[in-house]
Amino acid sequence: MPETRLLLKHSGDPEYRAIAGYMAEGGYVGLKKALTMERQAVIDEVKKSGLRGRGGAGFPTWMKWNSVPKEKTKPHYVLCNADEGEPGTFKDKELMENTPHLMIEGMIIGGYAIQAEVGYVYIRAEFMDCARAIKMAIDEAYENGFLGKNILGSGWDHDIYVHMGAGSYECGEENAMMRSLMGERGMPGLKFPHAPFPTIEGLWNLPTLINNVESFACVPHIVVNGGDWYAMIGASTKNSRGTKIFSVSGHVNKPGNYEIEFGMPLMELLELAGGMKGGELKACVPGGSSVPMINKEQCEKAIIGYEELVEVGTMVGSGGCIFLNEHTCIVTFIWRTTLFYARESCGKCTPCREGSGRLVAALARLRSGDDAQKTAALRDIDELVTVMRSASLCGLGQMAVSPATSALQDFRQAVGAPKGANT
Amino acid sequence: MDLIQLTEKEERPQAPKPGEVELRFSDRGVKELDYLLTHYPDRKSAMLPALWIAQREYGGNLPAEAVAEVAVRLGRSYAEVEGVATFYTMYHIRHAVGKHVIEVCTCIACALCGAYRIADYLKAKLGVDWGETTPDGTFTLEEVECLDACDRAPVLMVADEYIGPAAEKDVDTLIERLRNTEEPTTVRLADEVTQAQLHKTEQASAQD
Ligand SMILES: Cc1cc2nc3c(=O)[nH]c(=O)nc-3n(C[C@H](O)[C@H](O)[C@H](O)COP(=O)(O)O)c2cc1C
Ligand code: SF4
Ligand code: FES
Repeated sequence: MPETRLLLKHSGDPEYRAIAGYMAEGGYVGLKKALTMERQAVIDEVKKSGLRGRGGAGFPTWMKWNSVPKEKTKPHYVLCNADEGEPGTFKDKELMENTPHLMIEGMIIGGYAIQAEVGYVYIRAEFMDCARAIKMAIDEAYENGFLGKNILGSGWDHDIYVHMGAGSYECGEENAMMRSLMGERGMPGLKFPHAPFPTIEGLWNLPTLINNVESFACVPHIVVNGGDWYAMIGASTKNSRGTKIFSVSGHVNKPGNYEIEFGMPLMELLELAGGMKGGELKACVPGGSSVPMINKEQCEKAIIGYEELVEVGTMVGSGGCIFLNEHTCIVTFIWRTTLFYARESCGKCTPCREGSGRLVAALARLRSGDDAQKTAALRDIDELVTVMRSASLCGLGQMAVSPATSALQDFRQAVGAPKGANT
Repeated sequence: MDLIQLTEKEERPQAPKPGEVELRFSDRGVKELDYLLTHYPDRKSAMLPALWIAQREYGGNLPAEAVAEVAVRLGRSYAEVEGVATFYTMYHIRHAVGKHVIEVCTCIACALCGAYRIADYLKAKLGVDWGETTPDGTFTLEEVECLDACDRAPVLMVADEYIGPAAEKDVDTLIERLRNTEEPTTVRLADEVTQAQLHKTEQASAQD
């Protein structure tokens, strides 16, 4: 199967980055159409499309939009998660640099659907090329009446501001992101079921819709062509619709972003990326560093789709697909991945703050210790995994253990250690 | 290789006494902050943007005076602003940096593609370790986590510029170029970040 380039169709074309070029290719038709529709009808189109969040969790987008209070008694906000930080992922970067208006248009449509007055784009400060492109797109949108007061005569006002991060992976987590935007350390607070969803109480305790860059970029296509049209893409899968951009890196010949239709076998994605470099395929982390690693046999069976990848023991995640060749030391790789989580842990809750550091230490012992130390290390890892997975406050701590659990199974057999109850 | 970056070299700056805070933002900085404050319903939310402006105004670092000035301008306590600033790795508060910060990504995709080799080369070439600055104050070397440009692994970053895939000769050219760059790239980055958050009309008016 070749790529299905919907979002990235015009990526690389400098004219498309400016509003004139974007409009020449049908840009802002979606917004114009949405503004003539009932707000609920826009949400219904998104529902029909089957779009699921592209930021990692795969939550149905329409459900978020639909859960914002319809009776408007106070300000509503839109927050675009452009803090892409997941190791292995660089799709939002390409989208913002090359198709900034697509994302902005999607955000404005989202803002209209939930009756928001202000939208924020939270961009990590390393992404200056993205920030400049988005800022220019916002300026152009104001000049053309797509933002500001009384947009296209609809009587609805909307502003969008860029908010820059300052270096923190945890700020990609939506709860932490809101804290960060409100001028605090990027640490999440209580969340559902202990606190309402952000769509009820988000920024400044007001209803806030948070979606990923890629999720918003899908919206104009859905509004223009209809949800039913979008839902035909990827229809061979159980419940994954549309296209998904995979950022392929690691030991491949042509690393880069590939936009594919759901339902493609994982091995074809590898082919698109020019096949393996420097040796045979050994393992793959298909959805960013937080998702479980799978071995070669699992790769050969894997079909790309939210449910389909779960069947082989992993996840779509954010779409950061890292292929490893046969010369890679898996334990070293897991150690380095876990070190990332230990360094990026925000430190708010004990299981993750303490556990992630200890997990790194245990993996280091597994890497260089003798047999007795290795067996002991495996036991420690089992314990840490249970605690971190069940007791961490946010996804960082919960997912930090997945590389260790998934990939150590083969290793466990090699050293003859008993398989723990938790893995 | 250290497991976790230790912070022993990092000293907590001394807070200036109340009443001794000198406000040093330029007119432009003050106007930019005023505009940024209009983007949010409360003053506290302008904390991150204000710290970026401060980092520019104070020459690429956030000394205690800069933290104090942000605290005064936003009506928050010194401790709160310091607490926020120390959370984020791109605010240079935990240790002062030189004119140019070279960030080396050693995270997973880069590690697979030889990042540690490039890191060793850079350390030897500059004669400094992670977090250290060359004696002439020109370069600071920082180890960073994924910069999300893994297709270009191994990746280096200076201010807003990505360099990758980085080989030894790219490192040589980069160092040579930076040696001849007068303006501190740390200051330029802080300015770029600030500009990106302002609408065109606001930018024009702040520059008057
Ligand atoms: C530790 C952590 C980091 C995250 N980082 C990102 C990120 O960089 N970008 C992103 O879009 N979502 C990220 N997420 C997911 C967000 O919390 C949130 O689910 C997402 O932005 C929702 O948008 P979506 O429904 O469109 O996917 C992260 C989650 C966790 C737990
Ligand atoms: S799990 Fe980790 S990152 Fe998340 S709140 Fe706890 S300490 Fe912070
Ligand atoms: S791992 Fe280095 S840029 Fe992603």
